Order: sequence, then structure tokens, then C-alpha cells
Amino acid sequence: MDDLEKRVVDLIAEVLVDVNKENIQMNSKIVEDLGAESLDIYDMIALMEDEFGLEITDEEVEKIQTVQDVANFIRERQKAS
Amino acid sequence: MTRTLREHPNSLEDGVGHRVVVTGMGMVTCLGSGVARNWEAVRSGISGIGPITLFDASQFITKIAGEVRGTFDVKGHISPKACRRLDRHQQFALIAGSDAIEDSGFTCPPEDPYRCAVIVGSGMGGLQTIESGVEVLQTKGPRKNSPLMILMAVINLAPGILATKYGFRGPNFGVVNACASGATAIGEAFRIIQSGRVDVALTGGTEAVITPLSVASFNALRALSSRNDEPEKASRPFDADRDGFVISEGSGMLVLESLEHATRRGATIHAEIVGYGSTDDAFHAVMPDPEGKGAYHAMRMALEDAGIGPEQIGYINAHGTSTELNDKMETLAIKNLFGKAAHKVPISSTKSMTGHMIGAAGAVEVIFCVSAIKTGTIPPTINLENPDPACDLDYTANKAVSRNPEYALSNSFAFGGQNASIVVKRAG
Repeated sequence: MDDLEKRVVDLIAEVLVDVNKENIQMNSKIVEDLGAESLDIYDMIALMEDEFGLEITDEEVEKIQTVQDVANFIRERQKAS
Repeated sequence: MTRTLREHPNSLEDGVGHRVVVTGMGMVTCLGSGVARNWEAVRSGISGIGPITLFDASQFITKIAGEVRGTFDVKGHISPKACRRLDRHQQFALIAGSDAIEDSGFTCPPEDPYRCAVIVGSGMGGLQTIESGVEVLQTKGPRKNSPLMILMAVINLAPGILATKYGFRGPNFGVVNACASGATAIGEAFRIIQSGRVDVALTGGTEAVITPLSVASFNALRALSSRNDEPEKASRPFDADRDGFVISEGSGMLVLESLEHATRRGATIHAEIVGYGSTDDAFHAVMPDPEGKGAYHAMRMALEDAGIGPEQIGYINAHGTSTELNDKMETLAIKNLFGKAAHKVPISSTKSMTGHMIGAAGAVEVIFCVSAIKTGTIPPTINLENPDPACDLDYTANKAVSRNPEYALSNSFAFGGQNASIVVKRAG
């Protein structure tokens, strides 16, 4: 896990009250494996936007499934800017 | 003063009244966490008031308050992660509520969850959350507010969160009644059990409004003490040198249940709730009626409800805010209702030590009434050094006394004119 990936895992762990950080893998599916519900997703988006200084649309969120997807999305967005 | 009392104490007019007992209690205040610790502090006359640390109060008229300090979640009821999603008033409610449930020994989730209610009072709910949300809106624009804002701001989430935690699926609501919120919640919980609609209620009040907006606004009303150099002496009910109330925070929660239900499961009964009266002054937005008619009638209704006369009350936990208007009005109302007995009954304002917890005050004070009955101790009104000549009753000045009250009366009076009085009776 690189630095950005670690930050993403930290934020997801912060949101998901019942999930231990150790159980979050890069290939974990955020909804299916980690049990995130809609409020958790909105909460994560708000935290990610704040942490990485970007905006994520609801359409973009729909394409994201795994923790790795989140990290990749942020990395690409950072490259683009 | 004579009046007709009902023949059957504690029975509703339709004859189906259930007796209602207290089986669980919990609290967190500026004096610490837990009923035992708080009771030890108030019977010893210790003040919990100190400098405001929750925000920078250097530019404020009032720089003191009764803050809940340190690790208030002594038993670890809420994980640090879960705290992120809970406003401070919700955290207090969870801690006091968990302590009350634990104390009651009631098995949760309940077998009959639709007969278990949660009714929680709060004056202003998640005000701190709202203040932070407004700041985000103004500095970062309309797309940056947290999705958690609403859940942390609204008052009905405290009872909602407790219902989820304990599986109570019956009636559930917040009570918004300013300084009478906690007492009103307990009164309504008492009624709903008495009427037979539920068997158990988790009820009380919670408040966390030591915030910039709240302190600045209460200052604008000239309602708060600014005795900033002597915080521990700032809350001085019935004293001529008082200069306003001292804002504080915390929560008090009780498990109430029908006597049948409590007996069936072999619960320890702390005390019985036997009377509730509620009125409004219909007088002014923030000033109490100086003649105290609303307060008088709230107390009268509570006593009639209990089926007792004033001379049977062995302790009054006064609203006693340490404002001139309240203290004089309350004294007058007690004199008018109690007649000769007014000068015999021990009275005290525990707000002299806890400060004024707004929506949590009434709940914490009903618990202090239970403790007074159980221990045979009347807690003092501290800082009563130079009594206001208009306040000439026995306020248990500065030192606890030993008495053996069978009945205690708790008063709560609100901005808005709402008044709530609760009568507590010794178990048995």
C-alpha cells in the first residue's frame, strides 16, 4: 500500500464504525464486503473531497466498487489537475 | 389551604392507573459521570463550575460554565469511532441512558419491544453541530456540508439512537421545552406508563449548549452570571449577590416502569413517581410571571396527582436558577401553595453546584430527589451567604442536612413559561 492508499483506507475505516481497519483490503468491495450503506458512502465522499481537495459526482461514485477503485480514481484526478 | 384530594392516589379518572416506579438511573454532569459520584459531590457541596474551555471565550461577557470534563464515558459505552457521528448532547444521552439501563438490570432487547418507550427532552439539541455547519456553508459554499449534520442536529435522534441501541420499539419522541424539557419528558413517560400504553420507558434529558452562539445569545438576554473570577461562587440561588444563571451541560436518564412489570422481573425499585403537573404562565416570552401562578399550579397539580397535601412533602428540589426573577417567583409560589408548611419544608437548588443544564436539568434533579429520599440527606444550596430578603424559606444553606423525606418535589420552569413539577415517593 502506498501513501495515498493508506490515507484512503484510514478514511474508510473512520466512517465504518463496525469495521476494523485490519480487515480492509485493497480489493474489498465497499458495499458488499465492508457493509457500507448509503449514509456511509455520502460520509466517505464528503471526507475524501475534503482530504484530497476534489469534487466527486454521484455518477462517478457509481463506478467505484473496491477500495482500490477509490485510490485509482483519486490518483487519476490528481494527475489530471 | 384546603382542597379536595382524590380518594385513590395515583389512579386515573377512568380507573386504570398503573403505579410507576424508578428502576434505573444514570447521569453525566460537570461533577462527573454516574449517580453515585454526582450525589457524593452535591451532598458535599462541591461546585462543578469553571472556566469555559470548549471554545475561546476571551471576548465573551461570560467566561464560565459547568463543562463535562475529561473521560465522561467511564464505562466505555460509545466507541471513539461512533462518537464522530454523535453530537455531544447525543453522547451524553447514550452514556446516561446506558448507565440507567445497566442499573435497571432490564434485559435488552426486550421481549415485548412495542411496550417500551423512549422519551428524551432537550432544549436545543445539536446546536454546536449547527454552528459548525453554518460555518462550513459560509466559508466553503453549499456543497461541502456533512451528511451527518442533520442526524447530529435534531432533537429526536437522541431518543432514536437509544431505541436502536436497546431495541425499544414503542412510542418514541423528543420533548422540547427549554429548561423544563427533562422534567416534562419524565412526566409524559410517567403518564404513558400510568395509562397502560407501555410497561417501560427510558426517559430524561440531555443538553450540550456551551457553545459560542448559545453563550453570546444568553448574554444578550442578560441571563448569565459573569462572575468570571470566582466560577465556583457564580451560581448562588436565593442569594442577594447573584447575577444570573450559570450554563452547564450533561444528561440525566431514568428507567421508569409499571410496578407490576418491575415486580414481575424482580427489579430493584429506587423510588416511585406519583405526581406530575404541567402548566404555562401564558405571561411573557422569557420572564416568569412574578406572581408565580404557573409555578403554583404546576406544583398543585403534581400534589393532587399524588393525592397528598403540601405538608407531606419532605424536600423540594427547586428550579432555583440563581436569577432574581426566578428565585423570587418560585419562593412566592411555594409560600402560596404550602402556606405554613412553606417555612418547614427543606428546599435546595442543586443548580448552585451543577449549574443549569437547561433540558437535562429537570432529569438530573428528579434523580437527586430519588437520592435524597434513599439516603435521608437533603443536599445544600451552596453560595447562600447573603440571602435575598424576598427569599426567606429554608434553602438548606451551604451544608447538607439529615432528614427522612417520604415525598420529594422537583420543579422545572422554562423560558416560554412552561412549568413542570414531579413528585417522587419512597419505594414501598
